[in-house]
This record gives sequence, structure tokens and C-alpha cells, in this order.
Amino acid sequence: MPHYLDDWLMAFLDSPWNVIGVALFLFGVVLAYVWAPYLRLIFKSLRRNPLRTMLMSAATMKLVLSIISIWSVLWLLDLVTTERTKDFKAIVTERWQIPSQMPLSYERILQDGAAVKPGDVKPQNIMSWQFYGATLDAKKSRENLIFFFCVDPAKVLPMMEDFRDISDQERADLEDAIRAVQEDKRRIILGRDCLRRINKQVGERISLFSINYLGIDLDDCEIYATLPEGRLTLFGLMHRDRLNNALDAYERKNGKPHPLARKSLNLVWLQIPDTVTYGQLADQIGSSSSFTDPAVKMETASSGIAAFLDAYRDMLWGMRWLLVPAILAVLSLVMATAISISVRERRTEMAVLKVLGFGPTPIMLMVLAEAVLIGTVSGFVSACGTWLVINKVMGGLRFPIAFFPPFRVPLDALWWGPMIGGLTALVGSIVPAWSARSVRVAQVFAKLA
Amino acid sequence: MSILVKILLILVVGFGGLIAVAVALMLLLGCGLTLVLLLQFLGVLRRIPLGYNLRNLFVRWPTTLLTALAFTVVVSLLVMMLAFVNGLFELTQASGQTVNVLVLSDGATEESVSSLGYGDITTLNQYPAIVKDEKGEPLISWEVYLVVNQPIQNAKPGGQQRRFLQVRGLMDPARTGRVHNIALHPGGAWFTQAGVQPLPGSTTGEQAVQVVLGEGIARVLGTDQGKPSLEVGDVFPMAERQWIVVGILQSSGSTFDSEIWAKQQIVGEKFGKPSYSTVVLRTADTDAARRAAQDLSDNFKPAVAAQVETAYYEKLNGTNQSFLYAALAVASVMALGGVLGVMNTMFAAISQRQKDIGVLRILGYARWQILESFFLESLLLALIGGAIGCLLGWMVDGWSASSIISSGSGGGGRSVVFKLVVDSKILLGGLAFSLLMGNIGGLLPALSAMRVRPLESLR
Amino acid sequence: MEPIVEVHDLHKYFRRGSEQIDVLNGLNLEVAEGEFLALMGPSGSGKTTLLNLIAGLDTPSRGIIRVGDQLISGMSEGKLAAWRTRHVGFVFQFYHLLPVLTAYENVELPLLLLPLSASQRRQQVTTALDLVGLSDRLRHRPGQLSGGQQQRVGIARAIVTDPTLIVADEPTGDLDARSAEEILNLLGALQKSLHKTIVMVTHDPRAAARAARVLHLDKGRLVGETDRQSVVHSP
Repeated sequence: MPHYLDDWLMAFLDSPWNVIGVALFLFGVVLAYVWAPYLRLIFKSLRRNPLRTMLMSAATMKLVLSIISIWSVLWLLDLVTTERTKDFKAIVTERWQIPSQMPLSYERILQDGAAVKPGDVKPQNIMSWQFYGATLDAKKSRENLIFFFCVDPAKVLPMMEDFRDISDQERADLEDAIRAVQEDKRRIILGRDCLRRINKQVGERISLFSINYLGIDLDDCEIYATLPEGRLTLFGLMHRDRLNNALDAYERKNGKPHPLARKSLNLVWLQIPDTVTYGQLADQIGSSSSFTDPAVKMETASSGIAAFLDAYRDMLWGMRWLLVPAILAVLSLVMATAISISVRERRTEMAVLKVLGFGPTPIMLMVLAEAVLIGTVSGFVSACGTWLVINKVMGGLRFPIAFFPPFRVPLDALWWGPMIGGLTALVGSIVPAWSARSVRVAQVFAKLA
Repeated sequence: MSILVKILLILVVGFGGLIAVAVALMLLLGCGLTLVLLLQFLGVLRRIPLGYNLRNLFVRWPTTLLTALAFTVVVSLLVMMLAFVNGLFELTQASGQTVNVLVLSDGATEESVSSLGYGDITTLNQYPAIVKDEKGEPLISWEVYLVVNQPIQNAKPGGQQRRFLQVRGLMDPARTGRVHNIALHPGGAWFTQAGVQPLPGSTTGEQAVQVVLGEGIARVLGTDQGKPSLEVGDVFPMAERQWIVVGILQSSGSTFDSEIWAKQQIVGEKFGKPSYSTVVLRTADTDAARRAAQDLSDNFKPAVAAQVETAYYEKLNGTNQSFLYAALAVASVMALGGVLGVMNTMFAAISQRQKDIGVLRILGYARWQILESFFLESLLLALIGGAIGCLLGWMVDGWSASSIISSGSGGGGRSVVFKLVVDSKILLGGLAFSLLMGNIGGLLPALSAMRVRPLESLR
Repeated sequence: MEPIVEVHDLHKYFRRGSEQIDVLNGLNLEVAEGEFLALMGPSGSGKTTLLNLIAGLDTPSRGIIRVGDQLISGMSEGKLAAWRTRHVGFVFQFYHLLPVLTAYENVELPLLLLPLSASQRRQQVTTALDLVGLSDRLRHRPGQLSGGQQQRVGIARAIVTDPTLIVADEPTGDLDARSAEEILNLLGALQKSLHKTIVMVTHDPRAAARAARVLHLDKGRLVGETDRQSVVHSP
């Protein structure tokens, strides 16, 4: 078995939901085999009123689509705010102020974890971030604004999880681009959407006029490559030395440092092996006398993001607890209406089946199965379509929340779809199925006579 | 891969276009039918009695209920979402005065990134367009706006640990209050010249920083201490100091509702932002404000960015707009549920009432009258569901929520506490939306009812 | 006397695939004003088709139908509908009342298409229901009435617009003997006292016996005629 398939399988089986889903699916297949004659009846009855079947399935698809879209957003937000206990990152920023602006000298101290005495721990690795915003023209028109992360290129691949799942080809390209930037610091790498927005090609040279570092303009930047699709698609990467050298040059030329010279470090990532080390590092950094002007704080990446999301708390709550349930309710109602109509139309037929010796429970199960079949199949089709359209065509959902890039639909959506469709159909068809179960033969025929 | 993507794109766009055209046609037809309905009710055109539809709805009440319920859910949610967005819009509209000019540093678009060097800019105090109070002092407010990241007091373990607080440091709070037309709730006072007072009950002689709180943030901080709201005299910790509430602002409905006001020197030093970020000047009237903003932007040295205060807050509408579009997008997706529900129901109703239709046609009713009758029935269904939905949605009016407002161009933004606002416009919009769903959903079945052949239906 | 219904060289055929089925084959017929005419014949003889054509529910393939002073064989569907409201009252085998409406409302239905005030309508409806003897069942729904009573509501609905012509398709076909008797009495009385023209399709000889004239159809042609004028008038 190829190793990536093996990895995928292991990852898949990691989630109990996946295992339950597969088990249910297999159970369904066995049931279908045992119940083949019933199944034929179910298919026939679905084909009898194709319009209604189509309407039900269209409703399921559309509503499943919207739930998957919402869940994709919530899923990622949950994922990034879930605390990890192993191999996670801590973020160091200015303690009180937003935006965080620290002196670059903090980096070296943080590299040692602000260790002062023997026995103090160090982070496994660190990566520091400097933000540089600039436009392509001196007039500073917002349309061609580029926001750069000035970083040490050597840290990009080891530290940034964004590039963990890219293809081998993309990785090779990125490695090549990083090597090139290390060789010539004037080279920059841009996200694809960023490149598209400023309407430039790879290979072109541009001049940058800064909007946050007034007076630090950078000429002759060569767009060397693009970043793989992902979170950074709207941003650019630049060698940190380019900015820091320009700041030094400013001081030499003007005789005094740039106003932001002591505030050029925006945040620092620390790679942490486990929670024990995290606690120890937090103590060291918190009690260090090196961080006084300004004071700093260390937090896990997830808690940092959670603080940002606080502003959206009510909206996210509404999406999770009002919107999604409401959509589910509407879907079950549509199902309930459709199935109850179909049962009412087929009362005679059900009576005939009862006369032929079908028990009430098989009849009820047939109605349930009919609904669940429509729901599951439509849900699955919709999930595949949503995944394909949002990820491959739209390049992610652009939801205006904090600094998040377009949201992608996770692969898990492929089981969310059939699950949502099947369960709502089941809920919606319970009452009509019960009424089908309790059809009274004598009554139906009395009415006909 | 890219070919596949293109084909998919063409399919999606093409399909979307087709659907859009179909919906547009249906809407047009639906409007026409609604007009005819109106004429029928005015007695200009003859119609099948309304009682016929009402009673049929009543006779098959379980289906009616289920279908109407779908409308209720969709409409109530739409009303709630619009109330959220509306509250935000009202907030940005109510914040700021048309006679005030807001001055930020050159190039700054938001207060949080503005920094005015104190020394060079004091000449603003003498700017001629500023109106004077009765003592002859200019009505000008010097402020520093800060966002601080703060651990939450008594945070639940595993829950959220930190939040952002908005702090505004002021030179003269009473004057700032006058410039912004904001008064204190009775029982409160502005903070003193010193800005500090002895911490009650402290044996070490610790000084607490005096603050004035917006109502919204007072509620938020109150929840941390298990009270509905902080009151005058309450103390809370922030940035390793104790802060004592001396007044609560009558700030409901403005962005100041989410702010903590304190002495500028103290917060500037504490949070490392010693200069001012914002100067707000009061002028005589709207016109004067506009002229002063223009003049300051063009001619003042050192360069500043000046704008009428209301214009500044209007620019913070960007996210509201996005939320509005998102709400409408979600509602229209959910609307499909209502539409398909009513379609199913009406198709079934029509197939059950083939004979009725046949009889009516034989008695002399025309096709269009049959069409209108069934169309009306869908609208009735929508109206029942929609009206209940509006009532449910109305309940959120006045609820408190927090969100963010920003110009929408990435980053920045300020979190605000605000009230959801349901007004007549939203309620009518909800009803109209509901009728629209009924309209689209009812059209096809009604058209099919029109095509019933009377003789065959009676056989 | 001028006949109220005049049918000349009436043809009606349907197509089933490539095959043409002739239902009516050059039929001629006259009905006098105030006459009670019964059409009899085996199934497929074309009697119901003839009735539908006379009532303006269907259009002939060829031929002329005149009712009163109107040539209905050439009318458009819309015109026919408006004409039917004023000039034809229908009585069906299965009554065909709208189940959700009360007896009163069912009878009122055709009047809603005419330019009448509410009080005029009320008067006409109560009169019609009086005539059929159901003035105590105004607020009842069809489901709360017996078959005979439902058919009487059907008759009231047929006469409420004071039509030129009443057509009845097997009006007793779904009733027990006693109710059928009542309905036939009622139709006879209407014809006599109000001088209504009635054309009735039936295969019940007892029903046909009430008619003044009985036409026998077979394979789309008139094959015989029984004039019972004397029988009806005899004591």
C-alpha cells in the first residue's frame, strides 16, 4: 500500500465519527442485500412522482450546501482554537497594546526562552514576524496595497503549517523560491490572489511605497514566485533583512533612528514540545526583567485567536445555535410535508400491501427508508458538489471574519452531507411513517366502495 | 485539472444564469398575478371565494402547519439577522455628531493607528471655527484611543481567557462629554484632575484609577463578577492595577457604549501610547464642520486627516454591509426550503382537488380564475407562516449583542456592544420576503392547476 | 314553437393513435322550450358526448349547435365558459359539490361570476334551496348530507342562475331507489312549474319514463324515439 494512502487511512480512522459512519454504511449495505425486494418497491415509489422526488432532493442539496458552508467556517475556527498538548506554537506579543510593536532585540532573548539560570528551558524553534505594508505608487492608492510578512526564509518551511500539506511539486518550487530569496534579498514571493489584484506577473520588478513605515520605500523588488494556494494567498513574503537593513540605512542617512525602529517586531512564534515546557517558558518570560518597555505576554496560538474571535462571539453563536438548527428544521419540514403527502396519496396501496400480508413495521420502515434514501443520496451529492465548487472553483468561502483567509471545505464534509440529509429525512418522515404504519385496511376500502 | 475547473465554472455560471432568468420571469409573472388578485379583492374582477381557500387550508391543517412552519423559521431568522445588522447600522449612524470634526494623524484611517505628536498640534486649540462654551473655553476634546488585551476576570477554565478592551484616555472628561453630547447617569461623576483615588479597603495606600464606563462594557465587566452590571464604586482589575468606577455614561446606541474612559496621562503611560490619537472639535453647524474638515486636511501644519465625525463612523459600515449580504444570502438559501415546501404542498393539494377544479370550470370559471385561486392559497400559506415568523423575530428587539465594526478593508475594526433593533421596515421586509417565497413556490402549481381539463378530471 | 336547442349534422371523432373513432355521426336534433328530454343508449353510444356538446363543455368536430339564439358550435373556450354560466345548469351523477363549502356556498358559486349584489345573490340562493326543499340545511357541508340531499344541492346549483337549459348526466345513477325517486320528482316539478328545458342522460328506464321524449342512441346515431307526452300527461 502506498504510504500516503496508509497515512490517509490512519488519519481517517482516527476520528470515531468516521468509524461509526463506515460501520453504519456497511450495515446499510447488508440491510439492502437482505431487503432487496423491499428496496425495489422503494425505488419504484420514488420514481412514481419524479417531480416530488426532485423537489425533495433539490431542497436537501441546497440546504446541505448551506450547512456545509457554515460548518466549514465553524470547523476551522474550532480547530484553530482547540488547545493542543503536543507540538504546538506559542505566540509572544506586546502585553497590553494592539497592534503589538516590540523592539527587534526581543527576538534574541526569546530564542533562549529568556533563560537566566541553569535548568531553564528553551523553545525548540522560533520565528519572528515583521509587518510591512506598501503600495505600488507614491500616491498610496489602496487598490494596489500589498501586505508583507518580513521573515527569515529559513524558518518558513519548518515553522509554517500552511505548507505542510502541499504537493511534492509545490514543495520543490517553494524550496527553490526560498533558496532564491536567501541568495538575493530583493526577491519577494507573493500569494496568487495578491498577484492577481495588483495585476503583475512573476518576473516583474516593482517598487514599494510603505504606508506603515513612512520613508522606508523599497525599490527594485523582483516578484520571484508565487506561494502555494492557502492562507497567505492575499499576502507577500519578504526577507526580513531587506526591511531591517532599510531601517538601518534610514538612521545612517537621517542621523536619527526611524520612529518605528524600536517597534518593528510584531510577533514571535515559539515552537513548544509539550504543555510542561509551555508552563515553564511562560514563567521564564513572564518573570524576565528583559521585557519591560513594552511588557510582553505569551499565549498559545489557539487562545490568541480565541481572543480575536471574541468580537464575533454573538455572531458565531447565532450561526451555530440558530442558523444551523433553523436550516435543519426547514429541511425536516420540507421532508415531512413531502413524505406525508406521498403517504396520503398511497393509503390505498398500503392497505393493499397489508392485505397481501405485509406487517405494519415493514410498511413503516419502507416509508422511512424512502425518505432516508433521498436524504442520504442528495446529501452526499450535495457535499461532493459543495466541496468541489467551493474549494476548486471559488477558491474558498470569503467570509468577513477577522484575518482569516477564504475558508475551505474540509474533506470531512463528504460524510457531513449524507449524515445531515439522512438524519433530517429520518426526523421528517417519522410522523408520516407512523401514520402509514397505522393505515386501517377496512377504513381505506370502505371509503373506496 | 484546470480544464475540469473551467468546465465546472461554465456549468455553474450557466446554470446560475438560467436559474436567475427563470426566477426573474417567475417574479414578473408573480407580480402580475398579485396585481390581478388585488383587482379581484377590489371587486373589479370576479373570483372564487376566499373561504374556499381558507377552508381547504384548514381541512388539511397538518400539512398547512408544516408548510407554514418552514416559512416561520425562515422569516423569523431573517428578521433576527436583519435586526443584528440594523442594530449595527443604527450604531454607526448614531455615533458622532454632524457638527463635530474628527482629527487623526496624516494617513490614518482609524483611531487605533493614529498618533498625533502633542507639541506641534496644540495650535488646534486656537482654531477659529471651534465654538466656545459659556466660560469662553473652546469645545475641543483631546483623546487617546487604545485597544488593550486583557485576561478575563474569573474566566472559566477551558473557556476563553482573554478579551480586548477599548480604553479612551482623556484630558478633560467633562469637556469630552460636552463635545460628544454624552452625559453621565445620575449618581456618577467625571474622574478628577488626578484621575486616581485611594482604593477602598486597601491598607497599603494603593491608588485606584478612576474610570467612567459605557453602559455596554459595564454589563460585560459586570458579568465577570456575577452582577448584571458594574455600578459606581465597583472595582475591577486591568493591567495589574485596580480601576474604580466613578460614573456610567448614557452611551446606549453609540460606539462609546463599549469604552472605558480614564485620565489620559495614566493610560498613556500604562499602555505605552503617550501621544494623542484623536482630537474632536465642535463647530457651529453642519456647514461649518464640513468647511473646517476640508480646511484642516488641506492647510493645517503639521499635516492631519480631518473629517466630519459622522463621516468617520459611516466608513465603519464596511463589515455591516458584508454582514447584510451574508444575511440575505443565507436567507435566500433557506428560502428555497420554504419555496419547495409550498410547491410540494400545493402540487399535492391540486392533485387532490382535480374534481373541484373541473366543477368550477364547468360552472363557468375561467382558467385564470382557477390560477389566481390557487396562487392566492400559496400566498395565504406564506402569509400565515411569515406573520408568525415576524412575531417571533420581533422578540429579539432590544437584545444586547456584541460584534465588530470596521471599514471592511482587512484588520482594524472595533468591537462594540449594541442592541438588536427590529423596526417596521424589517417586519414589512420579512412579510414581503415571505410573500415572495409563496409567490415563487405557488406559481408552478397554480399554473398546473390552470391546465386541468374539466371533463377528464370528473371522469 | 321555435326549438330552444337545435343540432344539425353533428360529428365528433377522437383520434387514438392512427385510428379515428367516430363518436357522433351526422346527428340532427331539436329540443323544444320547456321540454324534458332523456337520452338513452348503451355505453359508448355517444350520449354523454352529445350532452357535453349541447352544454358547451366540448366542441364538435363538424356540425352546428344552436342554443337559444346563440350559435355555440363556433365559440372560443373563454366565451363558452361565460355562456355556460348564464345559460346552462349542470347536474352530475356524483353531485360534484366542493367538499369544503357549505350547501349555501356551493349553490352561490355560479352567481359569483355574475354582476349581482350580495343581497340579490342571497335571495336567489335561498329561493333555489327552497325549491329543492333544503332551506334547513344551508350551513351543512356535503359530507354532512345524504346522497339524495347532495344531489338536491346539485340541482339547486344548476337552477340558481335561472339557465336556459338544464343538463343532467345520470342524475340518479349513484342513488338508492327512494332518493332517485325524489330527485326525479324534483326534476319533473321544476320542468312543469318553472317551465325549464331539461336534457338528461340515463340508462335507468324508470328515470327515462319521467321524460316527455326519449331518444335512443347507438354508435353515434339516433336509432329511435319514444314520445311519452301522453304518458306524462295522463293521470
